[in-house]
Amino acid sequence: MSGRRSEEALRRREFLQLILGTSAGLLLSPTEAFLKTAGRRETGLKVLVLGMDGLDTILVNRFIEAGLLPHFKKLAASGTFLPLGSSIPPQSPVAWANFITGTNPGGHAIFDFVHRDPRTYLPVFSASESLPPRHNLKLGKYHIPLSGGEIRNLRRGRAFWQILEDYDIPATIFKIPSNYPPVETRQKTFSGMGTPDLKGYYGLFNYYTNEYKTVTEEYGGGGRVHYVYVIGNRVEAKIPGPNNPFVKGNPETFVDFRVFIDPVHQVAKISLQGQEFILREKEWSGWKRIRFEFIPTQTVSGICQFYLKEVRPKFKLYVSPINIDPADPALPLSTPESYSRELAKKFGPFFTKGLPADTAALENDVLDEKEFLYQDELVYQESMAMLEDELKNFRSGLLFFYFSNADQRQHMFFRLIDRDHPAYNEKLASEFGQVIEKTYQQMDRALQLAMEKTDSRTVIIVMSDHGFCPFRKGFNLNTWLLRNGYHVLRPGTKPEEVTLFQTTDWSRSRAYGVGLNALYLNLKGREAGGIVRPEEKQSLLRELARKLEQITDPETGERVILKAYITEEVYSGPYVTEAPDIILGFNRNYRISWNSPLGNFPREIIENNPQKWSGDHMTAPGLIPGVLLANRPSRLEQPALEDVTAGILSLFGIKIPSGMTGRPVF
Amino acid sequence: MLWWLNSALGTLIRIIFMPLASFHPWIAMLVISLLTALLMLFVYKKTSDQAGIKRARERIKAHLLEIRLYQNDFRTQLNSQKELLAANLRYLSYNLKPLLVMIIPIFLLLAQLNLWFSYRIPAKDETFLLKARFIKSVDLMKLNLEVETPAGLQLETPPVRIIDEAEVSWRLRVTGATGKPVIITVDGERYLKSIPATNRSLTRVSPVRVRKNLWQELLHPGEKPLPADSLLTRVELVLPESRLEFAGISFHWLVAYFLLSIIFGFALKGVFRVEI
Repeated sequence: MSGRRSEEALRRREFLQLILGTSAGLLLSPTEAFLKTAGRRETGLKVLVLGMDGLDTILVNRFIEAGLLPHFKKLAASGTFLPLGSSIPPQSPVAWANFITGTNPGGHAIFDFVHRDPRTYLPVFSASESLPPRHNLKLGKYHIPLSGGEIRNLRRGRAFWQILEDYDIPATIFKIPSNYPPVETRQKTFSGMGTPDLKGYYGLFNYYTNEYKTVTEEYGGGGRVHYVYVIGNRVEAKIPGPNNPFVKGNPETFVDFRVFIDPVHQVAKISLQGQEFILREKEWSGWKRIRFEFIPTQTVSGICQFYLKEVRPKFKLYVSPINIDPADPALPLSTPESYSRELAKKFGPFFTKGLPADTAALENDVLDEKEFLYQDELVYQESMAMLEDELKNFRSGLLFFYFSNADQRQHMFFRLIDRDHPAYNEKLASEFGQVIEKTYQQMDRALQLAMEKTDSRTVIIVMSDHGFCPFRKGFNLNTWLLRNGYHVLRPGTKPEEVTLFQTTDWSRSRAYGVGLNALYLNLKGREAGGIVRPEEKQSLLRELARKLEQITDPETGERVILKAYITEEVYSGPYVTEAPDIILGFNRNYRISWNSPLGNFPREIIENNPQKWSGDHMTAPGLIPGVLLANRPSRLEQPALEDVTAGILSLFGIKIPSGMTGRPVF
Repeated sequence: MLWWLNSALGTLIRIIFMPLASFHPWIAMLVISLLTALLMLFVYKKTSDQAGIKRARERIKAHLLEIRLYQNDFRTQLNSQKELLAANLRYLSYNLKPLLVMIIPIFLLLAQLNLWFSYRIPAKDETFLLKARFIKSVDLMKLNLEVETPAGLQLETPPVRIIDEAEVSWRLRVTGATGKPVIITVDGERYLKSIPATNRSLTRVSPVRVRKNLWQELLHPGEKPLPADSLLTRVELVLPESRLEFAGISFHWLVAYFLLSIIFGFALKGVFRVEI
């Protein structure tokens, strides 16, 4: 762990300043730009992998049987259709890292969306870290970086396309998760899930209105409401941009814009930075490029979309998270660097934020279901156009292409196919109850495109990182630890008012939960205020695992946690010591609650999830396997993600490297 | 009067560019830069004191040599610096006359070239704004306004009226080949705004039509001005900017034009025996 990480932990403002400090630093220091692409050895063999995040085996089966997925059926009949074992825990960054490295988390060091800094107990992002420039020249209020900052991909282990590169086999890796910033390679890669927006968030939308509205601006994302006045049919507002690393205190940058509303018609003209465009009510703008100025010679470019939700009686304007401009990326998006520009030239501006669909806007009722789907449909159409183009140029080696739609829509629409979900709504279900089914059909169309554009010698693999299940109830791990004496707060503290372990008495706390599936012991010699002696560790872990597995929901009688995995027993590799001590494998319908992952102590141990984010994948991995389809027979009966990696290398005749735990599936 | 001058110059440029319309705009840029360089060399030769320029340049060289040779003689150094400055001023004064002769034709030429290189015609399915600006005393809410679009263009929105700026905007979408003008009817008066044709790589685009006004007409020479008594003061198409690309770098046409003209000018000055 870097010596600077403790300073960043969860102090979001600083965290973002670091990210943008780094971006500015990168602007000032040429990096290894314009790397040449990998050797172009004609392999004769072509392997196409369609990575469809969150595709669930049970649903795929059901839809195939219903005749809805003809191309999935055809592919399944030609070779393999099996459940694909996911990672522990089956979270996307962990699972895709398993696939990328062909190992388990002990070999790649991604254990959760969120890790913790053992010196502060505070959460930090698991995927990447940003380091500011080491030296600055201070001129009054200005800070001029004298060296470049750095963004570091925290995933360890070699990516399979780096191994292919060793053998001069060309690969194009499009938007694979857990690869931000893209690792150094001469292959063509574009970063996926984990890529921030221009502010350094996982996605922060802006909402301009003269109506009272609250939205959640949370750790790493969410939204921000800007209350505006409509005076003389005119609105003046600002779009917040990245923090300015050139100015003392790193203030936020802004771009001013004006909205002119017609006195009668439901239509408005928006004017910003010399651009003018008209939107009718309920219309989207398409991509608009905006530039944020740090100092007159240093600017960063972003792209965003406007949606005029309502003109009157209330004014409502949504502005999407500001994506990094692929034509002029302020942060690293691709290898070689020119690949991003090449795509921008071909397709114009496109989504670059890791997970493009704005689930936070739907969650906060800023976008409704129809509006959210419109936005995610843009993502799908864009992906299809890019897939078609990549297929056209696919002559040799490997092509990996990623789709996020099934994952994002299942997260938000599971409530409408699960009548027992607390957020189930009959009316919405009648209108949007088919969304998931239709999304799977869209994935089938992507496969159809791939089948049509490749020859019969191409190995086609369709895979997902995990399946899905309802998220009906949340489990408050820290509250449970508190009630059972494993965690102690200082006297006089009201637990439900605590955030980020602010009043934890670490001299008496033996365990704590940070992240979505992780439990850590307060281990002496590892945690700053550790009290659990190494010789006590094993017995405490077993005691906790046993008790956690015994927890039942008093309302249903169901077990909440199906399996508490002691990581030393399930992980292998050089990074096991960095892992959480226990990974919670929840039962179907359960997940960690919304507040527990960041060190809060809500009142109830188990609480209903009334939110739109209603499907999830944090259970024991055996409950929600991903899916593997291929036009080659599987050599394994129960393959897992890392076996696909080994299988790909094997197809190209490459010997499986020693650190890889996967067994060749093909 | 100014319209006739603009019109004549516009026709001349149109004739020059006519055979180049289907080529890449860089070809037209090379040709017009070369012609400009030739014109400038000719005017420069005819209007400047060539012998004086030669003398001034030689004096400058001599004083520079003097400065190098007498580095240890402070008095001579000072005197050389004074003489060098005087020779430079003399050289500049010889340039003043050709500059004054060329400044107006070049300004008119730049305004014309702006019509050919500054704007990109939106492609099919792209949108752009049509903006009409009125005299301040007009009550926009009482005005009877209509827009008629030709084939290939579709009016997509009702007007957005900005009262305090006396401005009305509409959004248009390109649906096919265009070429005929948009008609704006204001209280029964019809005004035409030209729309460029979309099928050639080099096309003259007039984004703005203005009311009779010397300065405005100089800046926007693409169309006959609106009548002086019209309620409309300006009709504008908000079009995407066009840039010239070379080796992955995009240039504003003006940069390319000046660079190329200077390069051609210096390359050809020996051929035409022009002292610069």
